Amino acid sequence: MAEVGLNRAKEIYQERSRRAKELSTEGKKVIGYLDIYPVLEMLTALDLVPYRILGDMSEPITKADTCLPTVVCPFLRSVMDLGLKGNYDFLDGVVMAHGCEVSEKTAHIWRVYLNPPYAHFIDTPHTTHTAAQQQYKELLRDFKKTLEVFTGKELSSERLREAIKAHNQQRALVRELYELRKPDPPLISGTETLQIIVALASLPVVEGNELLPQVISEVKEREGGPTKKAARLLVWGSIIDNTTLFEMMESLGANVVMDDTSLGSRAYFPPVELTDDPLDGLAYRYLVELKSPRTFRETILNQSKRKDYLTDLGNRFGYLKDYTEEWKVNGVILEALRYCDIHGYEVPGLKEYLGSIGLPSIYLEHDYSQAALAQLRTRVQAFLEIIS
Amino acid sequence: MYPLRALVDGMYERAVEASKEGKPVAWCMVNWWGGDAVLRAMDVAAIYPEDYGAVCAAFGAAPAYLAQSDSDGFPTHMCGYARNCLGYAARMQALGGIPPEAPMGGMPKPTLLLSSGYFCDARYKWFQALGRYLDAPLWVLEMPHPGLKESQMEGVRQHNIKFLVEELREFIAFLERLLGRKMDWDRLAEIIDDTIEMNRVWHQVNELRKARPCPMHSRDFWSSMPASLYMAADPKITADLYRNMYDEVKSLVDSHTGAIDEEKYRLAFAELPPWHSLGFFNQLAERGWNFVIESWSYQPPKPIDLSHVSDPLERVANLTYQYFSGYFENALKNSARWGYFAYPYLEFVREYQCDGIMLHPLLTCRTATNHLMVVQDQLMQKLKVPSLIIEGDIVDLNLFDPADALRKAETFEETMSHYRKVRKEAGMAW
Repeated sequence: MAEVGLNRAKEIYQERSRRAKELSTEGKKVIGYLDIYPVLEMLTALDLVPYRILGDMSEPITKADTCLPTVVCPFLRSVMDLGLKGNYDFLDGVVMAHGCEVSEKTAHIWRVYLNPPYAHFIDTPHTTHTAAQQQYKELLRDFKKTLEVFTGKELSSERLREAIKAHNQQRALVRELYELRKPDPPLISGTETLQIIVALASLPVVEGNELLPQVISEVKEREGGPTKKAARLLVWGSIIDNTTLFEMMESLGANVVMDDTSLGSRAYFPPVELTDDPLDGLAYRYLVELKSPRTFRETILNQSKRKDYLTDLGNRFGYLKDYTEEWKVNGVILEALRYCDIHGYEVPGLKEYLGSIGLPSIYLEHDYSQAALAQLRTRVQAFLEIIS
Repeated sequence: MYPLRALVDGMYERAVEASKEGKPVAWCMVNWWGGDAVLRAMDVAAIYPEDYGAVCAAFGAAPAYLAQSDSDGFPTHMCGYARNCLGYAARMQALGGIPPEAPMGGMPKPTLLLSSGYFCDARYKWFQALGRYLDAPLWVLEMPHPGLKESQMEGVRQHNIKFLVEELREFIAFLERLLGRKMDWDRLAEIIDDTIEMNRVWHQVNELRKARPCPMHSRDFWSSMPASLYMAADPKITADLYRNMYDEVKSLVDSHTGAIDEEKYRLAFAELPPWHSLGFFNQLAERGWNFVIESWSYQPPKPIDLSHVSDPLERVANLTYQYFSGYFENALKNSARWGYFAYPYLEFVREYQCDGIMLHPLLTCRTATNHLMVVQDQLMQKLKVPSLIIEGDIVDLNLFDPADALRKAETFEETMSHYRKVRKEAGMAW
């Protein structure tokens, strides 16, 4: 009998390409995507299966050195390595976006070395300027055209609205899942949550929407969930696609109750507004509402037309204050991959901001390998002792 | 070429003077001319912390600034220029003014910061992080980065140009609000036309370097390029200096005079050089290594006729877009999907008949490094031209080992000689 609920999520987490390969065998087209900027609703609307491309921190990088140097994002090197080893050969195409500079290059290098049947690059602007929002809508129109050519189908507004509703339903269910982390002790661990999120990123949206209510019911009804611990952590950072880091924190006396990473709340929380032209709502959600440090936001100047540092920090990180209050967080772990400029530049400012609202934090940097995470154990332990 | 470098060096002194006179000063990222022209037309003195990073590296001032940035918690793998600038700004904040040890008179406190979104995430994240030390408002100027294939779709060029133009309009509106004065549109149009002309002449100079022996070494290019990349002075003056340079280089071509005594090997260089150790290239010159061309991203765009474009903002937007996409057409003809970031090297190496390329991965710079493996691979596959990889950094001299580099260079001569034979057997022109 097929697994359901948490076991099903864990099963998919452990063998995440299995369902996508089954669907491929059934004749569905599976499209890989990188990061949180490709607009998934447009894939779903054309009956394409979005499948998030992730790395594998337990797999040594042996092939990617030929096309990505060692001084760039180790996650993207891992992604490229898996691609070169054929792990993503089941994909019918890829859509990648300008999430960061190295992901932009990876999009082009993927095309050069793997030559997928379909590939599209969405050149996502860096700001929320009016001109940038108009440009982004044009870029989505370009994306729509290549998808229509690839599938031979018209991407109507009606289809797109239906897809938006399905993805919004998933976002609402993920919100509900995260609500289960608010009690003390939380009803679900950070490790289990990550397994579920990885599973969602590996399934068609409809199947994810079937899985989530099962998981939520099971978690609400079960006994023997996480126990009360002194530390309630928020983990902020680039990408965490492997449970090892959360397992380590949770084994050391912490509950990871909230996250702000690109494979967590950051990817799911803002819904899409259903606008007359659905591209308007999509453009606004993906460019303006997604809270990632890769998008620059202007700060309102003071009366002397100067910038106030703390106001700027509040403008950029205020949503984290809301998270820490709602999820009753008493410590924050800042995590970033080595060579991640987008997150690296944020670290001193974010630490200062967290300090200004009375929250202790620690910065952990690693090179996306199991061995590297093991070395962080002592630092995490010391941090937990301080906040406990 | 020395007057060109002097023009750039002088911008720091001019900015300090402007600041003393109460005129606005901007710290700018390289933005490929649109933002520069707008600032100049609005009488804002512009200085470029990227260039100042190279200055600090060359004068030995960088290590203290890097250490300051590190101690303030910025990760050490970040851009050397950025860490230098963050350290400088921290020291400036602590002292309440320009640090006394700052080379070339230092950078005065800015009225505003202008960053850009081109290529590198540091270009806006670094200036955003400067908010820790400076209360100057920041504007980020957007630039499109279309993929090669996507760039050929119907309407894409038009909406990208429109985006560039609208971005400049929003920036002008921001400046007018900040400075409380209006743009002089006639002046802006003149500056933009001079900028287009400046780039045209500079392109001609570099075309002369295809001659054998090559009359102009990369060191001269690096001394001269900042005058075009950073609008250090009136572009009319810069264009005149490039014209003088053209005459000088042309006379060397006519007299068959090379930049070095005996040109045994012609090389391309990618990416930015180790500014703190440029003497290293003299030692290679003694071995007959002539560096004849550099990365496309520091070169002027291929000339483009913009006489039919009436709107000055649209003219400069086209120039910027040409800089980014000027090699796309040839890349597509050559079925080179490696697009804008790696394809131009193939064209350069073939046209300048290079025996090898020195790749300089910068340990703190993703932009200058992330495409180099593809360049190495594709140059060998398509042109049988080998690469020599010498790791280093633009600012941090601890990351560059010239003795080791020279040892590698000796061995590389045999490799270059071998591939000369291979190319000859394959019927290639050099």
